Amino acid sequence: MIRRLYAYKDLLLVFIWREFLIRYKQTAIGVLWAILQPVSLMMLFTFIFGVVLKTTQKEYPYTLFYFAGVLPWTFFSGATNFSVTSLSGNFNLVTKIYFPREIIPLSGVAINFIDYLIGLVVYFLLLLCYGIPLTWNILWLFPLLVMLVLYTTSISLLLAALNVYYRDVKLASTFLLQFLFFATPVIYSIDRVENRWKTLLFLNPLTFIVENMRRVTIEGRGIVLWQIAAEMAGILILYFVIYRIFIRIERAFADVI
Amino acid sequence: MLSDPVISFQQVWKKYSKQQALNNSLREELFSVITGRKSREELAAGEFWALKDISFSVKKGECIGLYGPNGSGKSTILKLISNVTYPTKGAIGVKGRVAPLIELGAGMHPDLTGIENIYMNGTILGLTIKELKRKIPEIVEFSGLDDFINVPVKKYSSGMYLRLAFSIAVHSPADIFLFDEVLAVGDDNFQAKCLERIELIMKNNGTILVVSHDGVALKSLCDDIISLKSGAAIY
Repeated sequence: MIRRLYAYKDLLLVFIWREFLIRYKQTAIGVLWAILQPVSLMMLFTFIFGVVLKTTQKEYPYTLFYFAGVLPWTFFSGATNFSVTSLSGNFNLVTKIYFPREIIPLSGVAINFIDYLIGLVVYFLLLLCYGIPLTWNILWLFPLLVMLVLYTTSISLLLAALNVYYRDVKLASTFLLQFLFFATPVIYSIDRVENRWKTLLFLNPLTFIVENMRRVTIEGRGIVLWQIAAEMAGILILYFVIYRIFIRIERAFADVI
Repeated sequence: MLSDPVISFQQVWKKYSKQQALNNSLREELFSVITGRKSREELAAGEFWALKDISFSVKKGECIGLYGPNGSGKSTILKLISNVTYPTKGAIGVKGRVAPLIELGAGMHPDLTGIENIYMNGTILGLTIKELKRKIPEIVEFSGLDDFINVPVKKYSSGMYLRLAFSIAVHSPADIFLFDEVLAVGDDNFQAKCLERIELIMKNNGTILVVSHDGVALKSLCDDIISLKSGAAIY
């Protein structure tokens, strides 16, 4: 992938920059949206599940619990949502000029990642405000981020490519994302799930990523090495398979789009 | 060296489908990932040949016109050269950087300003950000849009839009330029400038392919003309 994209690195950069500009053109508060969206979701969840329903998930503050879940989820759903229509929506480019097609969905992943990083800064400020002691285990966050980005990229490429052939993908992805939201421990903790459902939930790589992101930041605990190695291996295989398929069917995009 | 062809088509066939539902093609592509088999070469129901047995070669510095009515396969040839699509049968060889000016301004975004669109379209045409930074004054001057260059292009008139797109395109450092029906850009003044620019490209040993159904204009500009009729070359 890197070898393929190196010659087009400037195009990728300009694409990212373009998407970033378009996103915040003619908006009053601009990049603040990157903070406002996850923060308002967090406040909503805190209100519903903490204040109204009075559920307890963990012994630490609700705001931290929900924000830690909302951030990676917003990144994943934002990036995949962008990607689904990215190729079919840019058909005037795809049918006219050649460049590696993955550049378009990748730029969507990239701008959502920028938003995610801004959100992470807010997250760490919150951790400081609540006086959560940070430990060296926080370094686990880096492999988790790599896994999250790889997984999001794989799904984005897959959906973008499929939507070139079948527009059903766009329609299906909207509610599949809603399903996936509930299959990801954003508004609950996996520790409170019965064992027989746990295995099922862990089939979703996001479950592992989101749970452990809370664990290494708020709880200051480490990750079991074989678990993260297995998850990483699974995500890498998925990524290579999807990328290979993408490159194979990319040739035909201009003819079928 | 000079006589080496930069573009060569050898018995190129290209098949297209008329149908909207293309479930077969995805299945075929996925299947071929596993088996490594090439796609079918015969026509299925609802398919037709957009190009039939096309062979030609273009030498460096030549200007070739592609002439024919709508739907004769002119644009398909340009798409094959620029790698947007692939031939069903036959072989294509292209040497050098290609600037496909197929429908100007494909990469323009209405919300972005002129300058921002220069970066966008420029990198799509294969320029680097560094090259663009250097060339921007030249591009802006050529377009004659100095006063409007920081205005979103959605506020441009269609003539201004095309002038900007053309200016970006001709400043690309490519070896091969593909023009698709773009000879009628802007007013007389700008058109004269464009033709001048095309002649300059030829003088600098750039290779040019022009598509048009205006036979007279092609004859005055090109060294050679390939006439097409429903996918086949007529000599």
